[in-house]
Amino acid sequence: MQNTSWIPMFPEAASTFAWQVDVLYFYLIAVSVAFSIPIVVAIFAFGIKYREREKFATPEEMHGSMVLEVTWSIIPFIVSMTIFLGGAIIYFQQYTPPDDAMQIYVVGKQWMWKIQHETGQREINELHVPVGRRVKLTMTTEDVLHNFDIPAFRTKADVVPGRYTYLWFEATKPGKYHLYCAEYCGLNHSGMIGSVIVMEQRDFDNWLSGNVSGQTPVEAGKDLFENKLGCASCHSGGQAARGAKLEGIFNTQVALVGGEKVLADDNYIRNSILNPAAQVVEGYQPIMPTFKGQVTEEQLNSLVAYIKSLSPNAAAAATAAKPAMAAPATPAAAKPASK
Amino acid sequence: MNSEATTGNGADGTPRVSYIGNGSTLRSWLLTKDHKRIALMYLISVSVFFMMGGLYAAAIRLELLTPASDLLETATYNKVFTQHGVLMIFFFLIPSIPAILGNFLLPLMIGAKDLALPRINLLSLYIYWLGGALTLIGLMQGGVDTGWTFYTPYSTTFSNSYVMLVGLGIFINGFSSILTGLNFIVTIHTMRAPGMTWFRMPLFVWAHYATSLVMILGTPVVAITVLLLAIERAAHVGIFDPAIGGDPILFQHLFWFYSHPAVYIMILPGMGVISELISNFSRKKIFGYEFIAFSSIAIAVFGFLVWGHHMFVSGQSIYAGLVFSFLTMVVAVPSAIKMFNWTATMFKGSITFDTPMLYAMGFMGLFLIGGLTGLFLGSVGLTVHLTDTYFVVAHFHYVMVGGQVIAYLGGIHYWWPKMTGRMYSEFWGKISAMLVFIGFNLTFFPQFILGYLGMPRRYAAYPEELQVLNIFSTAGASVLGVGLVMPVVYLTMSLINGKKAEDNPWMHPGLEWRTSSPPPTENFDTPPVVTWEAYEFGEDSGLDIEGARRRHQESVVNA
Amino acid sequence: MSDNHNEGHIGYPGYIGVFAVLVVGTIFTYFSSFWDLDGMFFPGANTLLALLIAFTKMTFVILFFMHVYWNSKLIKLSAVASFFWLAIMFAYTMQDYLTRGSGVFGQ
Repeated sequence: MQNTSWIPMFPEAASTFAWQVDVLYFYLIAVSVAFSIPIVVAIFAFGIKYREREKFATPEEMHGSMVLEVTWSIIPFIVSMTIFLGGAIIYFQQYTPPDDAMQIYVVGKQWMWKIQHETGQREINELHVPVGRRVKLTMTTEDVLHNFDIPAFRTKADVVPGRYTYLWFEATKPGKYHLYCAEYCGLNHSGMIGSVIVMEQRDFDNWLSGNVSGQTPVEAGKDLFENKLGCASCHSGGQAARGAKLEGIFNTQVALVGGEKVLADDNYIRNSILNPAAQVVEGYQPIMPTFKGQVTEEQLNSLVAYIKSLSPNAAAAATAAKPAMAAPATPAAAKPASK
Repeated sequence: MNSEATTGNGADGTPRVSYIGNGSTLRSWLLTKDHKRIALMYLISVSVFFMMGGLYAAAIRLELLTPASDLLETATYNKVFTQHGVLMIFFFLIPSIPAILGNFLLPLMIGAKDLALPRINLLSLYIYWLGGALTLIGLMQGGVDTGWTFYTPYSTTFSNSYVMLVGLGIFINGFSSILTGLNFIVTIHTMRAPGMTWFRMPLFVWAHYATSLVMILGTPVVAITVLLLAIERAAHVGIFDPAIGGDPILFQHLFWFYSHPAVYIMILPGMGVISELISNFSRKKIFGYEFIAFSSIAIAVFGFLVWGHHMFVSGQSIYAGLVFSFLTMVVAVPSAIKMFNWTATMFKGSITFDTPMLYAMGFMGLFLIGGLTGLFLGSVGLTVHLTDTYFVVAHFHYVMVGGQVIAYLGGIHYWWPKMTGRMYSEFWGKISAMLVFIGFNLTFFPQFILGYLGMPRRYAAYPEELQVLNIFSTAGASVLGVGLVMPVVYLTMSLINGKKAEDNPWMHPGLEWRTSSPPPTENFDTPPVVTWEAYEFGEDSGLDIEGARRRHQESVVNA
Repeated sequence: MSDNHNEGHIGYPGYIGVFAVLVVGTIFTYFSSFWDLDGMFFPGANTLLALLIAFTKMTFVILFFMHVYWNSKLIKLSAVASFFWLAIMFAYTMQDYLTRGSGVFGQ
């Protein structure tokens, strides 16, 4: 952070949430002051005015007042509801990632952040993002709970083993900001830090092309799916296939054996790979073996990315979000794999 | 302390033996069924844990004086803050007011000879000692580094520290709370003196009733949670660790189902003490008695519905986050009601500024800040930024130290003459109350700013630009430390050379002041019959105010 | 507040009867786990049945072994209240799990 004042009082604001959170913060400070001043003044005024004049005096008895009680119950209630509403609106945005956001995968492990871009670039403890673009982080961890925390963006989320959690933001100001792990994770918790580097789109494109990129997550996932893990032998999509057809499945309601329906989101796909028997698609036998222990978190991310890329709707949304990207860097996600 | 053996004469003219003088062998203490002696033993044990927790706090603040992790290695630092939390919460904050002041005063205040279940009361002390001993053994063997919250899967699978032993200590200690709570509820229902109707009970008793409800309804859940944690850690049964089929967020639900209400176990008795202090030192019936009484019950009930506000960023559903945020905002109302009623009580009173009242006024200021910053943290969108930062640390210290500890100190000073038969030094009392107030604010107010700046909690090292505020905080902690050590010294001194306390040195109407100081073992010479309302200072109270004035005049003239 | 311990106890035959109910319940639970109720009715039907049996057994224990049946209304109220509390814990925990998006509870 570029805080240069001797005593920093206020963090840098560098995302679209920042001003909203700050406004709520100042509103709450105003509310606090408005409640505190009368009470503190009253305590001091009563303390001075009604101090003991005669030892063991018996002041006149006073009876409670229903009107007062009701007033000072209702006013705090109404004020607290405004605070709740303000918080709820911001929270809803913070935790509802937009569909057209740029995807980045994050894997936490004791005590580092491993980050992979959709175009294949990997970084550790650093996250480069372009300014003015919506970015969605899909996060998980290899071991314990972590928390991906960027104070300058006024947002954070726990990273939970065994499932995906999400974080999204739109940076508004180029610069270098603190990245912390905010959920206690053991020995070197305070060393699990890094920086988020927000760049102009042009610089970001340069940075992307300057980094030797390996396979993109979708390519890596395709490789795993078709060759290394052999998923394709069952999930070929044909009529006689033993596994469910995966094309177009993402973000749709899938009917399960037993009549339940479930939304096929990242966590569903992830669980279906690790614990296939739990939620079997209607019309199929629970014959798929578990891949728990055979795939790393990063490989799982790639598989999920690939299966998502098989759904044209989700892919179309992703294409729309990446007009500025150089052609070679366009991920395979943009090309619908199915007819 | 032989001079306390007799305190004037009983109703039948024979010299009266105080509870302290009634037997001086170790056996007479360790096998006592007297709630007052048990309370004194709690006082000593709880103070030992408080001092140990305080030393850990000092180590934390010294380490954070510099941005680098230099005084303590991170491994040590992690253990230090964990043990600070475990000792302070489970062995100081939870038992302090109920087990010391509640134990001592509850029977006195409702005119009973003892608690309803005296043996159970002694048992709960022994369970507390057993739990404490196991925890201390765990700490001496090498300690724990999981944070007092024991979040899974770190605590079950990854930590190499003594989680089992300390967990067992906490598990056992829980039963001490449950038994104390049970005892209080039975006592309040069955042991009230004739004429002591529910709405004549001091608010201290109401607060303890609410606290006891939380204790018996909540504590079993944390006991089971710790047990599940132990099962997973020892037998690798998948309950919380996703690697073996569990769910880490389930642990958080179970843990906070108890641990949020536990916050009310800590603060409600404190609020009870403050109601006593404000009303009595204003010499005026408390404003809105019923509202304060029922707001305690409301806090206890609603306190069970808000635990999810510790989990706003944990990965629970957005819907659950919104529901918990809404309910959290509702809990703000009963706390606000108490605050306003206390302030209104001072209106047209006859206020003296003795040490307990200074603590009470300090409580009002600090709890105001603690409560209002609770709104910041209840407002879910803002909390996403503030969770797991020093803002949270500052907030709960304002509530726990600024609220509970200040109330506890105020209560200890207020009832010290009754408990020991000696007056403490008013001069040093006032000095230390001031030091605690100033030192506390200097320590924790900068942490609100640090929190908004984003400094995460449980960090042994932090960015350099945050050092200035941390230096303020450490400086404040040293003032606070001096303020907290002083009472230990002058209160102990008062036992040796303190002025002998009158039976009712403050001329207050509570039943506890209508027996000798210190009280006899059976509390009252004749079972009291209550004919006055709570906080009745007028003629109906039957207090000999003229006599007290005369004695006061004489003592002034003599001096 | 006296709890009339000597009134209306069911004696040894009664206790053995309650014990028999518990044993039958346990055996019934064991065999019910072999029936595919999930397939026949709705997902979770097996669990539901097992829980119903468990709650019935528990009610017998609380009423007769723990003497709540012969106790004052206040004691009965306390016993019911503690289950109400348990229900709060389950309800508010489930409101998180059931609204998480995908159906698998975080797994």
